[in-house]
Amino acid sequence: MSIIGVYSLKGGVGKTTTAVNLAYLAAKEGNQTLVWDLDPQGAATYCFRIRPRLKGGSKRLLKGRKKDLDSLIKGTDFENLDLLPADFSFRNMDLMLDDAKKPKKQFLRLLMSLTREYDQVILDCPPSISLVSENVFRAADGLLIPTIPTALATRTLFQVRDFLKSKRYQHLKLMPFFSMVDEREPMHLDIMDRLPKRHADLLTKPVPYAAEAMSMGSARAPVADYAAQSPVSRAYEALWQDVKWRLSRR
Amino acid sequence: MPQEMSAETLKSTLTQRHRLEVEPERKINRTYYDSFDWRLLHAGGVLEAETVPEGIQISWQDLERGTRLGSAMLKDPPRFPTDFPAGDLRERLTASLEMRALLPMAGVESRVQTLRLLDEEEKTVLRIRLETNNCLSSEGGLKGPLTGRIRLLSVKGYAEPYASVHRLLKYELGLAPASEDLMVEAARSLGLQPGEYSSKLNFSFHPLMRSDSVAKKIQLRLLDTLEANIDGTKQDLDSEFLHDLRVATRRSRSALSQIKGVFAEADVEGFKEKLGWIGGITGPTRDMDVYLLAFEEYRDSLPESVRSDLDPLREYLLAHHRSEQTKLAAQLDSPRFQTIVREWRLFLEAPVPLQSEAPNAWRPVGELASERIYKSYKRVLKEGLAIGPDTPAEAYHELRKNCKKLRYLMEYFESLYPKRQIQRLIKALKVLLDNLGDFQDLEVQADKLRQFGREMLEEGTAPADTLLAMGMLVDGLFRRQQKAGEAFAQRFADFAEPEIRQAAKKLFAEPRKEVL
Repeated sequence: MSIIGVYSLKGGVGKTTTAVNLAYLAAKEGNQTLVWDLDPQGAATYCFRIRPRLKGGSKRLLKGRKKDLDSLIKGTDFENLDLLPADFSFRNMDLMLDDAKKPKKQFLRLLMSLTREYDQVILDCPPSISLVSENVFRAADGLLIPTIPTALATRTLFQVRDFLKSKRYQHLKLMPFFSMVDEREPMHLDIMDRLPKRHADLLTKPVPYAAEAMSMGSARAPVADYAAQSPVSRAYEALWQDVKWRLSRR
Repeated sequence: MPQEMSAETLKSTLTQRHRLEVEPERKINRTYYDSFDWRLLHAGGVLEAETVPEGIQISWQDLERGTRLGSAMLKDPPRFPTDFPAGDLRERLTASLEMRALLPMAGVESRVQTLRLLDEEEKTVLRIRLETNNCLSSEGGLKGPLTGRIRLLSVKGYAEPYASVHRLLKYELGLAPASEDLMVEAARSLGLQPGEYSSKLNFSFHPLMRSDSVAKKIQLRLLDTLEANIDGTKQDLDSEFLHDLRVATRRSRSALSQIKGVFAEADVEGFKEKLGWIGGITGPTRDMDVYLLAFEEYRDSLPESVRSDLDPLREYLLAHHRSEQTKLAAQLDSPRFQTIVREWRLFLEAPVPLQSEAPNAWRPVGELASERIYKSYKRVLKEGLAIGPDTPAEAYHELRKNCKKLRYLMEYFESLYPKRQIQRLIKALKVLLDNLGDFQDLEVQADKLRQFGREMLEEGTAPADTLLAMGMLVDGLFRRQQKAGEAFAQRFADFAEPEIRQAAKKLFAEPRKEVL
């Protein structure tokens, strides 16, 4: 089982769009895939037409019995693709994690009980540095960081990188990539030209800004499904191949 | 799905109660894989491969519960578990299949239409797959229709829609669950018997049967096994074909000499040598198989820094395996081999004669079996007890040979005795045989490795580092052999303990009242 976190310290950078589309592509390749919507806003959950409610909330979830966890997962409209829905109680998850025994290893423990069921897990994380995100950093093999090529967004990339310097995250493969790129924007082009020199691990396939992707909320499906041939879908496809390749190397 | 029920009827019945989204019909080709001896099926699973644009989609399912055991996307059709990406799936496949290859057992071409049941949010809560199935021949041509099927694919977390459609199909439309899996149905229609092949002996004899007729039944079963493995051996599909072929030949030869006096000498004269010849021509390829199968273990037994030094040995083994395999395939095609098999079958399938000059032909098999087994058993005991600290290795080898004969005899006639008691004896003997096997095989392996080393040197394919690494292997093998030798005394004492002796005596040496 491979676990990928999609994370950004900044909101509105295409995080959920990335999580949903990569999960869709993984499932389409035949991988049993699980999206865990950790964001209390529940955007990924909404996209899959699932009600953002977990029976028993985060409390039941974190109890971490396999039976409990299993009963909370819902199948989506797509074969091989399941979702662990968001719940409004996730906004307090930090407090609950803090009460647990090893507060930073709870997700890892929960996900390990699903290794037989899923080949690919994608975590859609809330935009913060908190116990929740630290749990994600511990559990994940790779961390995708969507980054809009603007000065402010790239600044947060440095902040995240700084935080993840610690020894305990050395297993984590960082995979920043350019998201919502507007090629008519000179600043975007300029930053995309300069940034790779300072971040050697930057994925080479950027994802463009696209109206098709914006309509995911009304279509309630991954853009790679309802507009498979659009440039943005193709970009996600290329990104996914890149991610797989990156994760397959030690 | 009964023939008289059309997909349209079903669709309209469902549409009356549920909101349905009908997906366009598509054609899919599925190939089912298993080992020659159906190991996956025996373990309760079925491995399905479907060609999709991205590659070959493999899905391994639990037959009974329909749940997923694993899935993978491959570029090429699988042959061995090593063709799967490293991970849990590969490990579990290896545990089931061991050295056996995956073979395409059956193919099915289906026209599939998926109906998606939607809830008020237009979310899919159940998939209903209507399948029209046709069996494909091994060349890929259409072979004939199979039963149509309706599959209910539940969506996780939505149990109610599944239950409701299930009730509708069962009680209102009167449909019954399919009696057998599609793979099993397809394999049968291709003339295969899924799950049937096994190299295990599984006889059922009555003690009052004529001994010659029982001997023929044993030999015929062994010949069936031998013949079943010829094609796979010729094509070198996996190493187990040749192994099973050799074991059947060896058992057959042993039965000829151990079940004495049941056939007229003139009839079977020569067959012992002929079977011996088959043993001989199949030996060299098997030797190479043995080393190739053990290669990983060999390599892992060395310190990590020298493991890659063994690569030339692997090359050597592979090259010699190829040339021996070519020779073997030619021998199996030869008139000599084919004549032996044909004549042997002709003799075995002929009815037993009314009058026979063979002294044991007419004897009840219960009597003959006990006599033969007990004699063989006493011999093993005597030889084993005579082995002491200074006994030369030959005595161990001789004992092993006789233990094997005893084991085969007990296995042929197992059904004549109370199950638990005979199995206990067989088990005790197996433990001893494993020890003797280690003692002899480890030495043979060590000697062979030294011989390979010399040959590689002559061929100029062995760098000094490789020879040194092989020397370490030889050393390790000798050490293990020595350990086996040290363990022998205890193993044999366990086998020869009074309680087991009593049990053997009771089974084979005392007349059995229920028979008389």
